[in-house]
This record gives sequence, structure tokens and C-alpha cells, in this order.
Amino acid sequence: MVRPMPLVWVLLGVLVLWVGMRIFGGYPLLLKPFTVLTRREYAFLAAAADATFPRGGAIEPSGTDAEIPRYIDRYLGAVTPKLRFLMRLLFFLLEHATLFFPPGGPMGLRRFSKLSADAQTAYLEGWARSRFFPRRLVITSLRSILTLGYLAAPDVMRQLELAPKQIDTPICEADLLWPRVGEPRASIRYTPADLTPPSDGTPLDPQGPLHSAFERHET
Amino acid sequence: MSESADKIRVFADYTRDFVEQANIAVVGSGPGGAVVARELASAGHDVILLEEGPPFTPADFELDAGLSMARTMREGGLRTTRGYIMPTMQAIALGGGSLVNSAICVRAPAATLETWCRDFELDHTSRADLDPHYEAVEKFLGIALTPEDVLGDRNLLFRKACDVLGYSSEPISRNVRGCRGSGECFTGCRARAKQSMDISYVPALVRAGGRVLTSVRVQRVQAQGRRVTGISGQVVRPFTGEASFSFRVDAKIVVLAAGVMATPVILQNSDDLANRSRQVGENLQFHPGVAVAGIFPDRTNPQFGATQGYQSLAFIQEGFKLETLWAPAALHMIRVPGLGFELKEHMAEIPNAVIWDAIASCNRSLGRVRARRRTMDPLITWRFHPDDVLILRRALWVLARLLFAAGARKILPGVHRLPDEMHSLEEARVLRDHELRANDLVCGGNHAFSSTRMHGDPRRGVIGEDGRCHDLENLYIADTGILPRSPSVNPMHTCMALAHRIAGHIADRL
Repeated sequence: MVRPMPLVWVLLGVLVLWVGMRIFGGYPLLLKPFTVLTRREYAFLAAAADATFPRGGAIEPSGTDAEIPRYIDRYLGAVTPKLRFLMRLLFFLLEHATLFFPPGGPMGLRRFSKLSADAQTAYLEGWARSRFFPRRLVITSLRSILTLGYLAAPDVMRQLELAPKQIDTPICEADLLWPRVGEPRASIRYTPADLTPPSDGTPLDPQGPLHSAFERHET
Repeated sequence: MSESADKIRVFADYTRDFVEQANIAVVGSGPGGAVVARELASAGHDVILLEEGPPFTPADFELDAGLSMARTMREGGLRTTRGYIMPTMQAIALGGGSLVNSAICVRAPAATLETWCRDFELDHTSRADLDPHYEAVEKFLGIALTPEDVLGDRNLLFRKACDVLGYSSEPISRNVRGCRGSGECFTGCRARAKQSMDISYVPALVRAGGRVLTSVRVQRVQAQGRRVTGISGQVVRPFTGEASFSFRVDAKIVVLAAGVMATPVILQNSDDLANRSRQVGENLQFHPGVAVAGIFPDRTNPQFGATQGYQSLAFIQEGFKLETLWAPAALHMIRVPGLGFELKEHMAEIPNAVIWDAIASCNRSLGRVRARRRTMDPLITWRFHPDDVLILRRALWVLARLLFAAGARKILPGVHRLPDEMHSLEEARVLRDHELRANDLVCGGNHAFSSTRMHGDPRRGVIGEDGRCHDLENLYIADTGILPRSPSVNPMHTCMALAHRIAGHIADRL
């Protein structure tokens, strides 16, 4: 005689195991650790970055070539704890919402980072083209942070010829008053003798040298 | 430095709780607060200026848009309204919004100020009344038209398009000296040409003997009966906002200029101070903005040239103003359609792009600001009035016409339910004819105002024309929250002119 209760518990156990595996299992270890990102978040962001910016095409670097996850790690370190929490929630939601909005295909119910490249693109497109405004808003948020990361990469900015130019910064009265953020006033190193003439309004030369952070460094 | 050593404090200088005394405490170092503080200090008064954000040096500027926003904007630059969900940015830095805005200084049109006087029972706020104050600010900051040399293709194409279509247009007046056209207003001017408050009015305040406390978050105004006695709050760590020491400033007069969102929150936190009219935090308005990108056959090098150097006021009577626009490319790309290779193709077209925008005076679309528990971040609710959506639809159509008139080969309107790209004016007619809903638009909530509005009737507004709260004898407000409604154009100049006038009223009283 089969008692129904144990079966229910077994099914429930299997479900919990499946959910646990789906959320926590099978994520590759990180070779280089991040300050904020976990390996699960990295897996999602790396997949999303490459689905949004695949290698090749009009601009060569892919999302991971442009080190978008590392950028996002730095970004999350710079924002308030509340914002950090919301961003992480966003990553979690999109990683697992394939359950509710599967992109189609036999493996459509897998978590986002386990989908094929085509399915990942189809999934993100589904959110972007949704009739439901909050879904569009969610994907806009993700795309925004990925785009910020992509266009922070010196390689990408150089290819687009948008890399900032070198600009001489005059030393003005304010430099005698304010230290760098976080430093005490005693750290101010300028004196009135250091003041330089203000900007003379010479237009920036589009062919001029790049800002040092955007120069190409031969390896 | 030694002369000013005891007048300025930054986060690293605080070691314990403290109490200060001053004749006048000014809360907020943006365009309103900095002007009031400097004018009063120059008149010989004992002034202390308090700012929640840190001072930024050029070495602190981040060229990257995301990190820059995370450091200079409240809520990391991701603050949004509820009701209609729209991003709205408020700065948290010495100098307030002037550190990161495009330095636009435009006087409000006389006709707009006339309607203010008529609808809000104001007797002394006509253009003729405000002109001396506009002039004083212009003289101090060297406000001038954007020079031809630094307009760049993005601004010159706008002028050409307006000429072709017969719309009036002009270079924008800005608080800039020696602009080099780097297009970096949004992330901080490395050329130090932009006369933001932190390098103009605030140093002048220090020179005049005023004191400056940065990284201090004012949470309450202390009051006894109809008089305020000072303010109190906490020292906060730059960027994280983590609170540490407590402070109090006892003052004979308090001027709140913490911004449209923060000022009502401080009042609500102070046992609903100055709110017998029930107008504190009400009537919130924005200039919602829409932008259209045009792709040209030839390079436009959009990153060069004054960030916002040209404008057209031809449609002010219809409720919108047209401007050129630039910001870090990443911010523009957020609204570009597509994913994968398609997105990359769009991105690769940026060097041939220009982006122009329209800001609308949405006087029927109102919202409110409310304090939340355990945080000074406000709850902002705002809703689009359907008639105001029509104004933006019309603006999109005009922008499309301008872009094609300038020679664009296609435009990217960024409107949901419409084609991502339009290749001719014929295709773009859908912008004019299609029934748009608010949620179809990608809008930015520019220029917030009116959350503590000026009104001649104490039952219908928070302050009078002298800037003093109707309910209190010695509490003043001097940020864009006091504008009774949209000034039709960018509000910074009008805010500074009103602040200049308010400083005069306070000086007269003292």
C-alpha cells in the first residue's frame, strides 16, 4: 500500500534540489577573483555581455574582451549598498526568468548563462520588445550597465574615435581650497605661486594626443 | 591655504561631534545656495555654507559616465520617479548641479514671468524686476554666448537646419570662460572653463570671510514657535553616504537651498515645518526631455564642440525648447536600438551622428516629493498628463524635420512601437500621426522645480517673493523648488537671479 505523503515529500525534495542546482550549481570557478561579483553573477554578466556585444562586426571587441564584468565589479563597488543590492537583484532576475519567459528551443528553460548564444540573444530581444513596460525597463537597465562597461573600454573608444583627448587643466583658486575627495585639507599641495592662467578657449584639436588612460599600450 | 584653513572643512577633517554658530546658515552649495551665501558674506555677514557632497578636484573627475554618475549623483544617478517611471538626476557635490550640467544660463521669457505674476499673485517678479539680478549674476560668472570657434559640427548643423526651416535659433548663453569644446560638461570640466559654483561663487564666499562645511547632511531644521534656531544633521562619508558624527549649527537665519527634492524632505523631517499651506513637496514639475539621433553621410565628430551650444526658442509658445546635446557616448547609446551585431553597427555610426533634444514645459503634469523613513532619499511621484505627451510628440516631429533638413540620411527616434530607424521625412511622419502613449517615450526628467513654490497667497504657496517661508520669520528657501512653475527654459539662471534677490532681502533685514 503506497502512502501519499512520502511521495509528496520526495517530489518536493526533488524540486528543491532542482531549484538549488539551478541557482547554485555548476557555475565555473573564477580564475581572477572580483571585489564584489560572485562567480554566479560573473557567469551571467559574461554571457549577457557577449550576447549584447558579440566578437566581431562593426566594432571588434566582444563584451568580455572589453572586460565588462570587471567594469561592473568596479561600478558596484562605487555605488551605495542599496543600489548594489538592486543591481544584483536585476542580474539574478534575468538569469533565472527564463523559467517564465523561455526563449524557445529544447533547452529554453535553462538559466540564461547556460543557454546557447542564439537563445540568449532571443531571450534578451524578447524583453526588449515586450509590450509590458516594466519588462522593457528591466532590460534597459541591464543594457545600460553593459553599454557603460563596453564604452569604458579604451580599445572600443579608440576604434570609435571617441577616446577623450589630453587637456591641460589650469590650476585655479579652488585648487588652493579643496583637497582630493577623501583627503584632508593638509594634503593640498598648491600655493598661490602655482596658479596658472585660465583656459584661453583654444578649441580642442580632434587630432590631438589622447588622454593617457586611452593611449594604446604595446604589450 | 593657511588663511582659509579654519573656514573650510572636508570629510577627513571631522574628528568628533560639533556645534557651530553663525548669523546665517545656508544649506546647499548649488546655484541657489552658493549665490545667496556669497552675496551675504560679501555684504559683511557671518555666513556658513553646508554641503552634503564633497568638493571635486579635476583629479577626482571620472571620464567614464557610469562611475562619474555613481560619484557625483544622488542614488548613483539611477534615481527615478514613480507613477511615470523616468530617470531624474540630482547632483551631490560642492557646487551641486552646476558641476555636471551644461552651464546653460538663459533668462526666462518675459511672457512666462507675466503668467507667473498673474497666476501666483506675485507683484515683483516680472522680467523687468528680475533683469538687474540676472545681470548681476551674468557679470559675476562671465555669462556669454557660446563662441563660434567651439560650436563644432553638432551645433553648426543645428543652426543650418533652423535656417533651412525658418526657425529662429541662437548660440546658448553659458557660465563658461575659455570653453575648449571638449563636450565633457557632464563628467566635470577638465579645462576648468565652466564656472561651476565650486570654482566661482564658493571660493568668492571664502574670500569674503564665509565658512564652508562639506560632507555634512542636514536632516532637520530646529524651530521654536515661528522662529527657526538652526539646523542639525550628520557628517557623511563621500560616495557611500555612511553617517558618522553629529553636528548642529545655531543660526539667526536659515536658508534652505538643498534642491527640489532634498529641501521638502528636510522640512517634512522637521515635524512638517513651514507647511500650513500643505504645499511642501507638492506641485513637482519637470522638463521631460526627448532626444532624436541623426546619422549623417559625413563625420560630425559629435564629441567635439560645446556640449549644448545652440538652441531654438521658436516653439516656446507651444511648450517646448529645442537644443543640441552631447553627453558621454555610453549614455546616448543606452537608447540605441538592437542587440548584438545590429547594436554594434549603430554604435559604429556615432562619429557620424548628432543628437538634438527638446525639453517641454509640462505644466499639467504634476508630482510630489515625500520623505521616507530611515533615509533622506525622497519618494518622488510624478505623472504625465496626456496633453503634455502631445507636446513631446510634436517636438519629436520637429526634431525629425530639423535633422532631415540638416542632411541626415536617417534618424533614430527611440520611440517604442515605431520603427527603430527612419530614412526619410515621409517615413518620419509616423511621429506626427501615430498615437503615442507616455510609456512609448524614452524621457529624461530634466530640471525639477516647484516643490516649495513661491506664491503671494500664504494658503497656496510655501514662500513669498522675498524668499521667506510664509509660516516662519527667519527661514528662507532659495533653490529651484521656489519657481512657481516651469520657466519655459533651463532654470539655473532664474534660480540664481531669485537667489540674488533673496540675498538682498535678507541683507536688508539684517
